[in-house]
Amino acid sequence: MSALGHLIEQRGIATTVIGLIRLHMEKTRVPRGLWVPFELGRPLGEPEDADFQRRVLLAALRLLDRRDGPVILDDYPEEAPGRLPHVGWVPAVTLPDGSVPADDASAWDWARALEAELAVVLPAWDRVHAARGRTTVGVGRLPVAAWASLLCSFLGGQSTGPSPVPDLRAIQAARYVVDDLKALYTEAAVAPGALPSSQQVLDWFWDCTVAARLIRAVRKACLASSDKVLTIVGGNQLVPSARVT
Amino acid sequence: MARLEDLTPAMRQRLTELDSPKYDTSPFVTGGPLARRRVAIVTSAALTARGERPMLPGENIFHELPTSLAAGDLVMTHVSVNYDRTGFQRDINVAYPIDRLRELAADGTIGSVADRHYTVMGSNDPQAWGELADRMVTRLKDDRVDAVVLSPV
Repeated sequence: MSALGHLIEQRGIATTVIGLIRLHMEKTRVPRGLWVPFELGRPLGEPEDADFQRRVLLAALRLLDRRDGPVILDDYPEEAPGRLPHVGWVPAVTLPDGSVPADDASAWDWARALEAELAVVLPAWDRVHAARGRTTVGVGRLPVAAWASLLCSFLGGQSTGPSPVPDLRAIQAARYVVDDLKALYTEAAVAPGALPSSQQVLDWFWDCTVAARLIRAVRKACLASSDKVLTIVGGNQLVPSARVT
Repeated sequence: MARLEDLTPAMRQRLTELDSPKYDTSPFVTGGPLARRRVAIVTSAALTARGERPMLPGENIFHELPTSLAAGDLVMTHVSVNYDRTGFQRDINVAYPIDRLRELAADGTIGSVADRHYTVMGSNDPQAWGELADRMVTRLKDDRVDAVVLSPV
């Protein structure tokens, strides 16, 4: 975003960049920048804390009144309180005790295991969705009922049918279904008013759910595929690097 | 958490070695006081309206986000899986601070909120963004915007 800030400013409009990676702001010599010490994905620092967000945004906007540029790079002084684990947080979903398929289980076994878990997660997600009034599920543009079979079709290391989404390849469609699967679970786990850190929510998802194990199994199958697109998408776009096992 | 030393070794190496563009120019546009500025947001979160095709990596395009677009109609389609999305799930403003901007306009801290905001795929190569910036700035000027706040993910 530092680069785009420079390009917009070059074309005559004043900019101020909120930046998460200070090194990039320094290299690009951003016209006006506010480096913030927050985790990637949270440039305003703290969800559901309007006062905190307003302070960050205002600190960035105030740089527009400064005349001591070009190249103003300030550091935001406040840490986001939500970076720390919230003691006592428990997921708003109790996962079923069913057995987890072995790594070499059939696609049919994996699909049944995911469907059994979804049967528990979906009601919790419905409650959270109703209370919050919004969801980020929907990137994949496929109904939940289609998710398990699409993902499991890649366990053999190749796509076994046409893409269910007309403007995407099957592996791309599967990649966005994985986004939706992660979103559905992590939304369901956080009841309105609860304040877990991202680490807590993601630890629960990646360490405790059949869904995460299936995503890892699909990644492994894609990496072993002779289809280069599968190796790229499966290798890089399903499991965060910090969660690869 | 976005201090490089807090990231995984693989992420740290990738972000450190990322080829950031360097420019020969140092543009610096000044203007009126903040209380008279018309402000737009540009986010790299690859937001799309629900039901649209996700923004794909390598596509040097931007989407326009009308100010009136409801939070529930937006989804995040950024290609990277290595940053947090749980914050955005709880509150869109943690990445796209549209409600905060409205509040700052309502209390007179800024002059006004633009009619349209913009989103790009932040993982794309910014060296190829010259034409994209031309088109975006044309739209910004059509909307009489004189200040842009850029928000990454």
